[in-house]
Amino acid sequence: MLRRPDPARLITAIGRFSSRERDERDERTAAWLGVALGVSFTVAFTTGLISHFMQHPPGWAVWPSRPAGLYRLTQGVHVIGGLATIPLLLAKLWTVYPRLWRWPPVRSAGHALERALVFPLVGGALFQLVTGLFNIAYFYPFPFFFTTAHYWTAYIVYGALVVHVANEWAKVRGLRPRRAGAGARPAGPSRRGFLATVAGACGLVGLTTVGETFTPLGGLALLAPRRPGVGPQRLPVNKTAAAAGVRPDPAWRLAVTGDVARELSLPLADLRAMPRHVVRLPIACVEGWSAEATWAGVRLRDVLHAAGAGAGARVRVESLEAGGRYRASEVDPPHWHDGLTLLALDLNGEPLSPDHGYPCRLIAPDRPGVLQTKWIARLVVRGS
Amino acid sequence: MRVLRGRLVAYGLGAALIGVGGAGLLRDAAETDPAGWLVWFAGAALVHDLLLVPAVLGVALLTGRLPAPYRGPVRVSLVLAASVSAVALPMVLGLGRRAGDSSRLPQAYGAHLAVVLGLIGLAGAVAVTVRATARRRRPARTARTRCRCPGRWRRACRSRPSCRCR
Repeated sequence: MLRRPDPARLITAIGRFSSRERDERDERTAAWLGVALGVSFTVAFTTGLISHFMQHPPGWAVWPSRPAGLYRLTQGVHVIGGLATIPLLLAKLWTVYPRLWRWPPVRSAGHALERALVFPLVGGALFQLVTGLFNIAYFYPFPFFFTTAHYWTAYIVYGALVVHVANEWAKVRGLRPRRAGAGARPAGPSRRGFLATVAGACGLVGLTTVGETFTPLGGLALLAPRRPGVGPQRLPVNKTAAAAGVRPDPAWRLAVTGDVARELSLPLADLRAMPRHVVRLPIACVEGWSAEATWAGVRLRDVLHAAGAGAGARVRVESLEAGGRYRASEVDPPHWHDGLTLLALDLNGEPLSPDHGYPCRLIAPDRPGVLQTKWIARLVVRGS
Repeated sequence: MRVLRGRLVAYGLGAALIGVGGAGLLRDAAETDPAGWLVWFAGAALVHDLLLVPAVLGVALLTGRLPAPYRGPVRVSLVLAASVSAVALPMVLGLGRRAGDSSRLPQAYGAHLAVVLGLIGLAGAVAVTVRATARRRRPARTARTRCRCPGRWRRACRSRPSCRCR
């Protein structure tokens, strides 16, 4: 065979990616890691879309208010799964790295296109994991707004992944167990060991962070950016009253306006005089952490019925906060009819602390934390 | 034919998704800063391909000099340690902390990472010790059950009970 200069070979030798007969095994290692990544990115894309459309519901879709912990689950899977994918992606790129330097770089127009499409896949996958990690650490060294960039990049990565899977499908099919004797190859100890190491790394990352949302493992959340039970009134806070520019006001009143039979303006004492309900619901943050708490207050539907709002109305909950992307949120009928949805006044047996939205905040089941509006000033009813 | 059609559908779907993402990035340019986005998008791949992997290759080269029985446990420990360190780094640096919010990055991440790395190191040390002990005992045993199976089986036969060499 003609010997060509091949940088890939040198890299392979250094990294001991393969030795003589193991080329095909490396291919199978890469294929197994690819299958795992395909599953992981599909889950991340799906849960990410759920989170996006919960926050920006298209006109035709209405989200259910139950199961109460659904968003907590999907977003926990999105973030902790994403963190655990970091070693997985790096392992996959490691096994295919020699191919980056294959000589000649391209063999045909089709091959050039195939290679060109690997760039959005690799760049995009790394981009998503790095920006996602920085976001949950509240570290923003990049010039773009995280949420929007992460959202649109997801489509690019997933599109490139679909194309990649179509190209590599034959190799995945080759992973099916073959009949013994008919060319069956044992998984060499090195491949099994490598895959086990990668699985161990993913598991270790998951184990040291998952406690920030799965409370029974809270004690193991050594490296998680949040810890359930740590914060004012034993609950984490994302935006403090000081950061929101909100100060307690003794003259505070809750206004209910818009398409209602009678407008209301309720002082805190009147709210406290209404039937009091206690619910146990989590704050489930888009950043993946979640923590359950005991809330007490007035059912949103009781207040809206008192104002004579129509059953199909949509409610805009507005905060005392002067600005900010999340100063108001919309509550659709399934959520405000749900008996678990409260205008909360108490948290874990005490009046809300300023950082948790004193005097009054929204708490509803199956709803992202950023939409659990704090420091409520007005309810604006639209429609009937 | 069916396979080809499946492929074309996948290419179409993939191209459509990429198109949606690209169009969205441009439409929301005020928030996505396409130039800055591209720097991070391409930069992530370049940093990985030109800095990270060469560094790991360097470590692979160094650990390749270790005696065979120790190489595995050392490399496994390094992979685990590097993985948790990479994920923990933004927390350890704590650049996202904000005065007045004690619930944001509330933990002593440097100390916690040290504990996790210590445990990994401990597990690695135990594995190395076990292997070293096993190695000292092995020669007699190997002589007794010498493998006579064909060359292509030999590497795997110790982990395959069905191998005919037993």
